[in-house]
Amino acid sequence: MSQVLVPQQPPAHRWISAERADDVAITQAIADPLFTGFGKRWWLALLATLPFVLWLLVAIVWLFYRGIGIWGINSTIVWGVAIANYVWWIGIGNAGTLISAMLLLTRQRWRASINRFAEAMTLFAVAIAGLMPIIHLGRPIYAYWLAPYPNTMALWPQWRSALVWDFWAIVSYLLFSILFWYVSLIPDLATLRDRAPRRGAQLVYGAFALGWRGSAREWSRLQTLHSTMAALGVPLVCSVHSIVGLDFAASLMPGWQESIFPPYFVVGAMYSGFAMVVVLAAGIRWGLGLQAIITPRHFDAMARILLMASIVMFYSYATEWFMGWYGGEHADRAVVRFEFTGTYAPLYWALLTCNCLVPQLLWWPFARRSLPVLILVAIAINIGMWLERILIVWNTLSHDYMPSLWRSFHFTFWDWSFLIAPLGFFAFLFLLFMRLIPSVSMFDMRELAHEEAAA
Amino acid sequence: MPPLTELPTRPEPARRSKLNRRQALSLLATSMASSLAACSKPDQQILPYIRMPERIVPGEPLKFATTLGLAGLGRGVIVTAIDGRPIKVEGNPRHPGSLGATDVFAEAAVLSLYDPDRSRTILHDGAIASREALQGALASQLADARNRQGDGLRLLTGRTTSPTALRQIDALLQAFPAAAWHAYDPTDDDNARQGSQLAHGRPLRGVADLAKARVIVALDADPIGHGPDQIRHGRGFAEGRSDANSFSRLYCLESGFTLTGAKADQRLALRPEAIERFAMSLAGELGEARGATELPERERALLRKMSTDLSAHKGAALVMAGPTLSKEIHALVHWINAQIDAPVRLIEPIDRTPSGQQAATLEQLAGDLAAGRVRQLVIVGANPVYDAPADLQFGARLQQAPFRLHMGEYVDETAALATWHVPQHHALEAWSDLRASDGTASIVQPLIRPLYCSYGVHELLAWLAGEQDASAYDLVRQTWQSAATGDFEAWWKQALHDGVIAGPGAAAVAVAAPQLPPMPGGEAQDTHADGITLILRPDPCLWDGSFANNAWLQECPKPLTKQVWGNALALHPDDATRLGVASGDIVTIGAGDRTLDVPVLTEPGTAAGVGTLTIGAGRHKAGAIGDGVGANAYALRTGEHRWRIPSVSVTRSGRREPILTTQNVVRTPNDVRELYPLYQLGHTPAAAALDDTPSLMPRTIQSSDGHAWAMVIDTSVCIGCNACVVSCQAENNVPVVGPEQIAMGRDMHWMRVDAYDHGMANGRPLGFQPVPCMHCEHAPCEPVCPVAASVHDHEGLNGQIYNRCIGTRFCEANCPYKVRRFNFFGYADGEEYANLGADSYRGQKNPEVTVRARGVMEKCTYCVQRISGARRSAERENRTLGPDEVRTACQNACPTRAISFGDLNHTDAEINRDKADPRHYALLGHLGTRPRTTYLADLRNPAEE
Repeated sequence: MSQVLVPQQPPAHRWISAERADDVAITQAIADPLFTGFGKRWWLALLATLPFVLWLLVAIVWLFYRGIGIWGINSTIVWGVAIANYVWWIGIGNAGTLISAMLLLTRQRWRASINRFAEAMTLFAVAIAGLMPIIHLGRPIYAYWLAPYPNTMALWPQWRSALVWDFWAIVSYLLFSILFWYVSLIPDLATLRDRAPRRGAQLVYGAFALGWRGSAREWSRLQTLHSTMAALGVPLVCSVHSIVGLDFAASLMPGWQESIFPPYFVVGAMYSGFAMVVVLAAGIRWGLGLQAIITPRHFDAMARILLMASIVMFYSYATEWFMGWYGGEHADRAVVRFEFTGTYAPLYWALLTCNCLVPQLLWWPFARRSLPVLILVAIAINIGMWLERILIVWNTLSHDYMPSLWRSFHFTFWDWSFLIAPLGFFAFLFLLFMRLIPSVSMFDMRELAHEEAAA
Repeated sequence: MPPLTELPTRPEPARRSKLNRRQALSLLATSMASSLAACSKPDQQILPYIRMPERIVPGEPLKFATTLGLAGLGRGVIVTAIDGRPIKVEGNPRHPGSLGATDVFAEAAVLSLYDPDRSRTILHDGAIASREALQGALASQLADARNRQGDGLRLLTGRTTSPTALRQIDALLQAFPAAAWHAYDPTDDDNARQGSQLAHGRPLRGVADLAKARVIVALDADPIGHGPDQIRHGRGFAEGRSDANSFSRLYCLESGFTLTGAKADQRLALRPEAIERFAMSLAGELGEARGATELPERERALLRKMSTDLSAHKGAALVMAGPTLSKEIHALVHWINAQIDAPVRLIEPIDRTPSGQQAATLEQLAGDLAAGRVRQLVIVGANPVYDAPADLQFGARLQQAPFRLHMGEYVDETAALATWHVPQHHALEAWSDLRASDGTASIVQPLIRPLYCSYGVHELLAWLAGEQDASAYDLVRQTWQSAATGDFEAWWKQALHDGVIAGPGAAAVAVAAPQLPPMPGGEAQDTHADGITLILRPDPCLWDGSFANNAWLQECPKPLTKQVWGNALALHPDDATRLGVASGDIVTIGAGDRTLDVPVLTEPGTAAGVGTLTIGAGRHKAGAIGDGVGANAYALRTGEHRWRIPSVSVTRSGRREPILTTQNVVRTPNDVRELYPLYQLGHTPAAAALDDTPSLMPRTIQSSDGHAWAMVIDTSVCIGCNACVVSCQAENNVPVVGPEQIAMGRDMHWMRVDAYDHGMANGRPLGFQPVPCMHCEHAPCEPVCPVAASVHDHEGLNGQIYNRCIGTRFCEANCPYKVRRFNFFGYADGEEYANLGADSYRGQKNPEVTVRARGVMEKCTYCVQRISGARRSAERENRTLGPDEVRTACQNACPTRAISFGDLNHTDAEINRDKADPRHYALLGHLGTRPRTTYLADLRNPAEE
C-alpha cells in the first residue's frame, strides 16, 4: 500500500499523525487502493470468510427444512441464541449511527476518521440483526404478517406487542442508516467517479454520485441535510434499542420487567458497538495503511467512551440487583440469586469480568494507547455483551415463577452455527465494502486536515 | 385411414405428425365419449343416500357403553365414536368400577386400538399362516388330547373374571378331564389371598369402602395408587373428605413412596419388616397381646394415636395391607378389621369357574413343563415369557411343550417362542363380559369392526371345545340367557345401554370371627438391616408391561418422580450417598444370581434401606414404542419373593444415564409455601383471602349476557393419578414427542400435574396441582403476540388461533404459569416419533380439534369444542346452556372429582360454590393476571399431637 501519508511518532497533530496531509495526499491515500487493488491479502481474507458464508447459508436452509427444533430451545426456555444474537447485532449496529450523528452534533471532529466504516458496520450489523427475528420464528414464511397490509384474512398486527414496535424500529432504523450513510457518501462517490481509471467504474460511481459537482450550494445543502438527519438519528438510535429493551421489559417475567431496561439497553448497545468499532478500526488501519489518519488519539478517545460505558453498565447491573432485592418480590430475588449461583453462574461471572472488570484497565493511558491491549479489551467487551444478552434470556426463562418447569438450556451444533457463522458473514460483507467504497470519509478528512492545519 | 388410390396431386408436406387433423379430432371425441362412459352407474341397482342409516350422522359422535379390563377386572366406560372410529374413552357413572371417571389405562386404550404394531395375522413358527392351517393343526392336537383325556393339554390365561370365559373353561375342563387351567397375573397379590385363607379358611376378596371410613390405615398398601380399584378408592377417599365435620384421616406406613403416602395425613416411611412389626403392635393395642413388641419412639407415638383413632371410630375405621406384607400380616389385618368393624365387604373370589374351579398357578405349570408333562399349551392373553418370575425360567421351559399356541394382541416375547400365534381382538373390537373388583358384571361390546384379522378369546376357547363357527356375540348372550329376568332381548339391550348388568355386585359373605394366624417372631425380621430391601410395584403408567407400546403412557410422567420413558430404582438420598451414587447413575442390582442394571433416582419419600422399582419396563418385543425402554424388573423377581426381595446388593456400574423427566418436583420451602398452600383441618382461613387490595380495576371482567367459563381444582382431593393428563391428550390430539425430545426439555402435554413436596417432619405430604391454562382475564400472553394469535373471547376463553400463529414464542416466554407448548418439530405433522405417524393412528384423532403444524404454539382451550358442542345442542333444543352442562375432558376423567368447570354467570354453578370456599386461591394471584382457573388449597387432617 502506498504510503502517501507518513505517520510520525509522536503524532504531528491532534487527530492526524502525518506532518503534512494535504487534500491530494488524503484523497490519494484513501481512494487509490480502490483502483489499484488490495493485493493477495484481501483475497485471502475474503477466501477465509467464504466458508462462514456458506455455513450460514447451509444453517439457514437446514433450519427452514427441519424447523427451529434443531436449536437447544425447550418448552420453558423458548428463546435462545437467535434472540441473543439479535440484541447483540443490533447493539453493534447502534454505534455507527451514534458515532456519526452524536459526534457530528457535538462537533467531535475526530469522528471523521471513523464514521464511514462505523456506519457501514451499522448497516451490516442491522441487516444481520434483522435476519435473526425472522429465522427465529416457528413459521418464518409468515414473517410479513407483522407488517400492516390489506389482506383478505383481515389480519392486522397486534399493536400492543413489543415485537410489532420492534419490527418498525428495525425497519426504520435500517432505512435511516442506509440513507444517512449514503448521503454522506455522495461527495466521495463523486471523487471516485472523477478518479476512476476505467469506464465501468466511472459509470457505476457516477450513477451513485447523483451528479455531484461540488458546488458551494451542493455542499451547503448536503451539510444541512446531514445535520438534520443526524438530529433525527440520535433519537432513532435511542428508540431502536429502547424498544429492543421493551421486548423484555414489557413482559411480566422476573428479571425482565424492569423500567431500567430501555436506557440500559441503549448504553449496552453503544458499549458493544464502540468496542466493535475499535476492533474494526484497528483492522482497517492496519489493512489499508491508514496509520496517519486513524491515530492513537482516536483509540484513546474511544477507549475513554468504553470506560465510561463500562461504569454505566456496572451501575445498571447493580441497579438490577438492588431493585431485585429492594422490590421484595420473591421471584425477582430468586432470579438475582440464580444469576450468581445458578446453572449459568460461571457465564454470569464471565460477563461481569468482561463488561465491568476488564475495561477498568482503560483508566491507565498506556492501555488506552496500546493497540493490542485495547483490542483485547474490546473483544472481551463484545464477548461479555453477548453473554449479557443470552443470560438475560436464559436466567429469567430458566428460573421464573414456576419451579416445576425450571430447566436449563443446552447448546446444539446449530446454536453454535448461528452464533459463529454470522460473524464470518459480517467480515465478508465488510471486506467487500472496503474494496468498493472508501472506508474513511475523504471530504470529512480533508476538512479535518485543514482544521488541524496539516493541509 | 383409407389407402391411397391415386397418386398425390400435390407434393406431400414434410412429415410433421403421424396424425392429421381429422384423426386428431376423432380421437379427441372418442376420448371424451369414453370418459363419459367411465362415469356411468354400476350394473347393479344402487340407492341414493337420501335417507341416512339410523343413528349414523356424518361427524356426529355416538357413545357406547363397554368395559375395559385391567388385571382382568373391569372398569365400565363410555366410548365416543365418530364415523365409526372410537376416539375417546370416558367413565360410565353407572359402573361401580368407574363411577363416571377413568384412569390412565382406560384413557390410553383408544390409542392401543390403532397401534400399527398390533398383531395382524395368524403366525406359524413366525411365518404367516392361514386359519385353515391353524384349524388343521388344532384338530390333530385336540384329537391327541382327547385320546389322552386331556392329559398334557394346558390352558394359561391372565386373571379371568369374564363369566363367559369361565363358563367356557369349565366346559373345556369337563371335555378334557385331565387337562389343567392355569392363570397368572403379574400384579396379583398372592399374600392377600393366602392371608384370607389363614384368617377365614377360604380365599375371600375384601372390598373396602373408603368413603365410609373416618380413619384409614394403609400398611404398605396403596389403595389410591394405580390399579383396577384406583377409581373406586379414589372416589371413596374424596367422599370421605367432602365434609369438614366427618373428614377422614389417612395414616400411611409404607416402604416406598406411593400416591396414598403422598395424600396421607400422617405418614411414616419404614422398611416392610418394621411395618409388619408395627402391625403386630397395632393388633396388640387392640387386644391381641401376642404380637406386641418394643417400638422406636416415633413409631410408638404414631401407634398410640392410631390405635386411639381406630378404637374411637369402630364401624368407620379401616386397615389395609399391601402385597409386600406377609400372609400372616394380611390375616392379622383381617382380624383387626373385624375388631374395629371395618367397612370391608368380603366376597367370594370372582375368578373361579361356575363349578368352583380355581385356576392353578404358573409355578405348577412351569414345573409340569420342566417335567415334560405338557404336550399342548394354549396361552391366552398372557405374556409369561416376559413377566413370569425369573426363577421359573419360563422361556426355556416353555419350549418343552411341543405344541404352543399363543393368543395375544401383540407378537410379544411369548408369541416369539410359540409355535402358533393368533392375533387377539382389542377390547374395543370384541364381544365379552367382565366383572369389576366388587363382582359387578358388565358386557364388553365392540365399537368397531376388527381392524385386523384377529379373533376373540371366546372364539379361541370355542375352537378348543371343537366349535369352529361359534361367535363371541352368541357365546356371551348364551352366558346371560339365564340371568335375564323376563324378555331377554329387552334385558340385553338394557345391559348394553347401561354398560352394567343390574344388581348390586357380588353379595357379602357371612364369615365367623377371623382366626389369628401363628405369628413369626418380631425381632428376627431385622437381620437385613444393612442391605437394601427391594420393593417392586406395578408401574403407574405401564402397569405390568402390557401397556409398554402405548406412547401416551410411556410419555405420561410418573406421578411422584415425573419420570417418562423408563423406570428407575428409587432410593432414599441417605442410602444413595452411602452407596456413592446419585440420580442418573446406573447401578447393578443383584438378588441371588440375578442381576439388573437400572439408573438410580433419589426419592426422599422412600424408607431408609429400601429401594423401589416398577415392573413393566424393559420389554424387547413390545413394538416400535416400547422396545428397550427401561429395565425389566421381572428379572429380579422370584416365585417366592414377588413384591419384596430382601437384601439385594446395589453396586455402582460407573455408567450414567440421565433420568428423563418432564418437570421437577418442587421441594424448595419458599416456593412450596407460595404456590401450594396446605392447611390443617380446623385451621383454614376464615374467608376467601383472594385479592382484597383496593383497585380501580373492575373486580372481574365478564360479560353480563353471555357465559364466563371458569375452572376450580380442589387440590385436597387430587391424587395425582394423571387421568386428566392422558384424557386431555386423547381429546385434544396432543402429540407425543419421544424420549429424545424429552431429553431436550420439550413436551406437549396441555395439562400437567405439578407436585409440591412439603416434607413436613419427614412425613413428606406431597400435594398435586393439575395445571391447565389459567385463561387469565388479564392474560400476559395476549398483549405480546404480534399477530393476534393469542386472543380473548367474550366468554373469557383465552384462545390460541393456530393458523395465525407465526411462532414468536413470546406468549410462552411471558406466561407465568408456563402452560403453553410449542411444536418445535412437526410432532403431529410429519415428524412424529417412531411409528406414530402411521396411518392407523389417524383414526384416533378427534376431528373437532385441529392437528397442529410445526412452528405453532398450542395450549389448553378449556375443551372449546365441547363448549361449542354443548352450545349447539342447547340452541338446537331452544334452551339455555345449563350451569354445569359443559364438562371438559380432564374434569370427566378425574376419579376424585377434583376439577369443576362451569359458568361464573350462573349463580348456582358448582364453581361459584367452590369460589366461596375459604380455601380458594388463585395461583400467582399477586401478578394481577386474574386467572379463571383457580384452586382450593390442600387440606390435611393429621392427628393432634
